[in-house]
Amino acid sequence: MQNAKDTFYITLRNRLTQVNPARTILLRSVTRPGILVEEAESPMALPVLDAFTLRWTGLAILPQLPLPLAQMTCEIYYSTAGTQPNSGLDRGRALEEMDAELQQMLSPQCAPKLNYTTTPPGAMLTSIFWSEPEFQPAVPLRDQISRTALVTVWSWQEAGER
Amino acid sequence: MSTSPSIPAMTPTTRRVRAYFAPVNRTQAQPAVFDPSLNANFSLDSPPAPWIDLGWIEAFTRKSTSKYGVLAAGSPANTQYQVRESLDAVVSLRFTSWSKLTMALAAGSQHMNVIPAATPVSGNGNGSGSKGVSAVSLSATGSTATFLAMASTDAISFQAGSLVAVDVDYTGQTGYVGSGVSAAYVLSAAAVNSDPDYIRRVTFNVARVQSVTSTGLTLAQPLIAGVPAAAMKVQPILGFVDREGGSFFQEWSALFVIAGDQGERIFYYYPRLQAIGGAEEAATPLTAPAATVASSRPFTSSTASANVANLRNAAATHTTQAGSMPSPTAAQMLSPAHGNQSERISLAAGFRALPVTDANDGERVVCFRTFIPPVFALV
Repeated sequence: MQNAKDTFYITLRNRLTQVNPARTILLRSVTRPGILVEEAESPMALPVLDAFTLRWTGLAILPQLPLPLAQMTCEIYYSTAGTQPNSGLDRGRALEEMDAELQQMLSPQCAPKLNYTTTPPGAMLTSIFWSEPEFQPAVPLRDQISRTALVTVWSWQEAGER
Repeated sequence: MSTSPSIPAMTPTTRRVRAYFAPVNRTQAQPAVFDPSLNANFSLDSPPAPWIDLGWIEAFTRKSTSKYGVLAAGSPANTQYQVRESLDAVVSLRFTSWSKLTMALAAGSQHMNVIPAATPVSGNGNGSGSKGVSAVSLSATGSTATFLAMASTDAISFQAGSLVAVDVDYTGQTGYVGSGVSAAYVLSAAAVNSDPDYIRRVTFNVARVQSVTSTGLTLAQPLIAGVPAAAMKVQPILGFVDREGGSFFQEWSALFVIAGDQGERIFYYYPRLQAIGGAEEAATPLTAPAATVASSRPFTSSTASANVANLRNAAATHTTQAGSMPSPTAAQMLSPAHGNQSERISLAAGFRALPVTDANDGERVVCFRTFIPPVFALV
């Protein structure tokens, strides 16, 4: 499943650089596109604002198919406090921008699967594909507003793949 | 020696089915051809001519209704041979968009354009429209599929954003009429009151006007019949009307494409389809009922956010491949069944497939199913 998770993240990261190159974060002294995988970063007390955080949760395997089909749930969380020049009064607009960006990043809903444990990444034989996002209600909390989108990601488990 | 990696023959996965239609030349009885040996890899957004993209459809189902019989002999009788007693198949689907073409396909019979009534109105009105305002002529030259050249005095009678029908006057023709698409079959001039606007009333050669200049009308979409002939005239239309009833059967070629997630493609090519039902709609609630699902850890420790994060709308998953053929009459009709919920209205359509002859072996068939496997998959 790790190849699928890596491919999903890299695909969204690359698409984000096309959709909104200005959405970046400074993480571990490196400026990078504003998307991260929670389980691949140091534990954080608070989520990063104005960035997309991927959290992998559900997992099911459908074994009765020509290849086992892994079905994973990815929760994509994002929050914003708006911008300082507008005293945060634009946080609703900022969240809407992130809603739209995420929709664009998730389309088309498939990508060729790559093995990122090698350099350069190795092409695999199948593609991963995913569902339409299910946007959860926006959650206001003090000066911030956040939302989670649920996406189901599927991946055929190729021979030798863990 | 080199070997290429491979995977087993795969289970196609997809979410949607895309539909393309093309008119059948009724006069010469020639359906549009989809040849997978030529066009299997066409871009779904730009199908090869003459196919018209009608977008993603839903509830696509197809069913063979061919009948089989047996030749039995002996005592007790036992089957010696099987025979095909009849060849038949039906297709049903729902169009999510409403347009001239999708409405006409779903209605199956003549599909009329609503021409603004001339004033004063003659008679007591009519369900499909009264005698229309006068049509205007095109200039002898200068028109294209997206531009209608006409005199400035005629052009000012149209507004940007309006709809127009472009076709020839009815002058007593009998048989199939309509440019680009056979839109109706005229038995006699008397049957259509020798109305010079009749062909424009049924034509598929319609478009929306994008802008108006002193030299003519620029259209927002190309005319289905291509460059208009100088003999054609232009008439404003308000919208479309179809009827339950009518003696005419439209006939279309259809191509349905399932684009799999692994790059595979499944094509269903029906050379000849005719509607088997009248105009029907299906209503689907816009909002799915909310349901509580097992929670996952909230991203923040806030109780409020945790509560909300645990809520999840149970989105209605839409299957495009139903297990059985729904009757067109079984479509969920507009009714108070959904209370005051907003609903989206789809056009429900059902078709019967008619046969053609396969040039490769002379067999009579009604549908061609083509499968292009994904790269690397064993076959």
